[in-house]
Formats: sequence, structure tokens, C-alpha cells
Amino acid sequence: MAAAGTGSGFVFVRNVCGLFRDSRLAVLARPQQLSWFHSSSSLSTKNWEKKNLKVFPPQLPEEARRPAEVHHCRRQIKYSKDKMWYLAKMIRGMSIDEAVAQLEFNDKKGAKIMKEVLLEAQEMAVKTHNVEYKSNLHVAESFSSKGKYLKRIRYHGRGMFGIMDKVYCHYFVKLVEGPPPRPEQKTGLDQAREYVQKLKDRTVIHSL
Amino acid sequence: MSPPAMPTKEKTTAPALAVNGLSLPPPQLHPKIQLEEEQENQEHPSGLLDSIMWMAAPKKRRTIEINRTRRRAESKLIKVKNNIEPCLECGHLKQKHVLCGFCYAKVSRETGLIRQQINAMEGGPLRTPTVETVVLYEGETPSTQDKDKRIVERPRKRPAWFSY
Repeated sequence: MAAAGTGSGFVFVRNVCGLFRDSRLAVLARPQQLSWFHSSSSLSTKNWEKKNLKVFPPQLPEEARRPAEVHHCRRQIKYSKDKMWYLAKMIRGMSIDEAVAQLEFNDKKGAKIMKEVLLEAQEMAVKTHNVEYKSNLHVAESFSSKGKYLKRIRYHGRGMFGIMDKVYCHYFVKLVEGPPPRPEQKTGLDQAREYVQKLKDRTVIHSL
Repeated sequence: MSPPAMPTKEKTTAPALAVNGLSLPPPQLHPKIQLEEEQENQEHPSGLLDSIMWMAAPKKRRTIEINRTRRRAESKLIKVKNNIEPCLECGHLKQKHVLCGFCYAKVSRETGLIRQQINAMEGGPLRTPTVETVVLYEGETPSTQDKDKRIVERPRKRPAWFSY
């Protein structure tokens, strides 16, 4: 009886193993079809640097010329991300010379760091990213984000304490070759025409 | 023991105080005035933690949309400067009403060296002579105007910006 029990037990286990071998591993061999799996297994979030490594296929003769781009960033800057945002917002859409000039005469701490990052990016563009004229660049994207904070204790009265954050931020910039894109100037007539068109495009739902 | 039940008369007049073991006084001749006195005595803040009646506090959390509209208002954004121009001497950028930083640094470096030379000549503090000083560079001789002046020699060519 014990032998029979173990025998059936072995068969049972083999069946289960067989099932496992067929279904799970076979599915794992085709990773594209996994929809319930978290696809990016790596923990690294330094994706901005990887954008420079992207290689496009050669362009066809009839395609419009793709402008050269360079992505650059600086990590763990000892400054607040909210304060950095104001500077990043200021230089969005400017040409690189204009941006560097504005940052040079800005009194904020982040302005000096941002200027260094822009000049590094300009150098990278000319040296390794096939940009012909170093002034022919404009800031396409510029933003800041939160870095890893250090925590310290801030002593209050009556034995109370608070946890103080020593803030750090990252700064990201994307320079694209070419003059900065001019924002479209809408005349009053255009705006009025659009407004009237919007009114005309309204539909009444559930009507006859 | 459960707390004594409130008489129906006082349910409508007095606010309910959730304090266990509160013994109510016997019904008075003027119940309203007594109740007001009781309320005043009991609602005195017993410490800083109970000061809910007079400290302003936010009622609701400010949403991120409201915070963003306040922080990103036009008045809080950094204004773009339009008074930046290139320096005619060196080509670096300068503000219109401010001296060029590069030229200023260049001049201050040379004046620092002149001052070092003067300190070496004097040898100590408070030994400034009572005559004027003139700086001469390599290959220059003192002219008739520099007769009674102290001469500071600098062993280099006269810089272009230091006119005689």
C-alpha cells in the first residue's frame, strides 16, 4: 500500500512537472507574448543618457533631413527641483547663445550649473553628434526632476523633531540643431474665425 | 457606571460635552445663565494643544493644480533680460550698465601685482611716502613730470589698456 501510494505520488509529481515544463517554460521562451509580466526587469532609470545611443536607419533621399539632437543631463545637483524649474522654464525654446547669455547674468545658484551643462552639451554636439555650427542649436527640452534626498533631524522645541530633507535634483536638456521654432502668431481675425467655427461644430446629443 | 442621563430640557439648550463622569448641577432658578458660565469654564484651553478655537488652520489640502497655478503665475516666472550686449574690448557678454567682468578681472589682476610690488617696496604697514606714485613698465624712463614721484617698476610690457 505504501509502495502503491508512493508510486502514484511519483506519477502525480511527474505530471505536475510535465505541466510546468510545457506551459510556463514554453511561455517564458516567447517573451513578447507575456502581457501580465513586468517587462523591464532592470532597476536603472538613467534613460536620458541612453537616448544618445539610439541609431536611426539611413534616411531615404526623399525624406526631410532629420535635425541632429543631443541629450545631456547632470545628476544629483545640490539644489531644489522647484527652484531649478524656473530656470529650465525660462530657457525652453531659446537658442543656445541666448540661453547661455541669460543664465550668465542670472543670480541663482542653479544658473551657473545649468550654463555648464549647456556648454558641455554644445561641445558634445559639435564633437560627437555631427553638428556643424555650434550656434545653430536650440533648446528643445529642458526640465528638472527630484534626485535622491538625504534626511536629517531638525530639532524643534519641547522635544519635538522634524525630518529635514537635504534636497538634490537632476537637470535634463535636449539640444536640437537648427534655429529655434517660432511660436505661431495668431491674428485677432484668426482667433475670431476659430471661435465661430467652434460654435458651429457643436452638436446636440440625443437629438432628432 | 454609565454617565448620568441628560434631562430633555438641557439637550436642546446646551451643546453636548463628551466628558465622562460630568456631574450636572441640580436645576437652577436661572438655568441659561448658569449654563453659559459652565461653558466658559469648561472650554478654556487647558494647554496649547487644545487651542482650536482661536488658531487659524487650513481646512483642506491645497491640490497640486491650485499650487501649480500659484507657483507658475506670470509674476513668479523669471523675466528675460534684454540689456545684455557684447563688450567691445574683449567680446565677452556684459550688461549695459555694468563693467565687463572679464576686463575688470584682467585689470584687477594687474593692480594686485602692482600692490604687491608696493608692499614689497614699503616693507610694512603705515610706511606710505607722502609723494605721488607712478607705475613704469619695461623700457620706460621717468619723464619731467615724474620728477618728485615714487616710481614702481613692473618687469613686463605696458598693457594696452594702461595708457600713459
